[in-house]
Amino acid sequence: MSIDPVSLSAILPGTSGVDAFASLPAVETVREPAPGFGAFVTQGLDAVNATLVKADTEVRQVAAGEGPSLHEVMIHLEEARLSFQLLAQVRNRLLDAYQEVMRMQV
Amino acid sequence: MDYRAAFQISAAGMAAEKLRLDVTALNLANMHAAGTSVDQVYRPQRVVTQTVSFGQQFGAMAGAAAGVQTAVVPQNVAPRMVYEPGHPYANAKGMVAYPGVDNVTEMVTMSTALRAYEANVTAMNAARTMAARALDIGGQQ
Repeated sequence: MSIDPVSLSAILPGTSGVDAFASLPAVETVREPAPGFGAFVTQGLDAVNATLVKADTEVRQVAAGEGPSLHEVMIHLEEARLSFQLLAQVRNRLLDAYQEVMRMQV
Repeated sequence: MDYRAAFQISAAGMAAEKLRLDVTALNLANMHAAGTSVDQVYRPQRVVTQTVSFGQQFGAMAGAAAGVQTAVVPQNVAPRMVYEPGHPYANAKGMVAYPGVDNVTEMVTMSTALRAYEANVTAMNAARTMAARALDIGGQQ
């Protein structure tokens, strides 16, 4: 019994050995700096804050007897609450990871 | 967040049922409003909802514009004729035209709308609970 050797071209049609990489663009040595982690967190915070502010505005409008219907406002309040809970959970995970690193023996 | 889509679907149902309740209240409010003639009398309104097809609904969910299409149409109901000769709107035979609002139908519609609204709220709460449970993943006990 003989087993056929597995070749790369059989798995990936259209590729033949190392030549396949020749068509790839050359790796750029200078890259744009990726947006930092701080920017990512700030963006998330802004999004959560926007939901909270929107819900707050709608509550004011309903209290003043105008604006969207009551169930819309309640649903937006729930959405705001959920996004805030998501933010809190992300913060918990981050803090856990930080403390884990700080406990690391050097 | 994809849970917003579930919220929006429930919100569309709630809006439809709220409209149904409003229209029922309108019919009841106009129940004894006599018309100057048979043509001028108030015609009971009815909410007609049209389901948005499944594919359409979930395609629209991305834009958070899922909804139930509603229309308020007047019903073709014969007016209720009451013999009141002294009434200023009475015709030559002394009959006054009142809207043909059926009290029982309106009450049943109202109850149905109320229960359907509750069902939508329950569905929304279930979606919210599910989202809250998802946030519990990996948390401390």
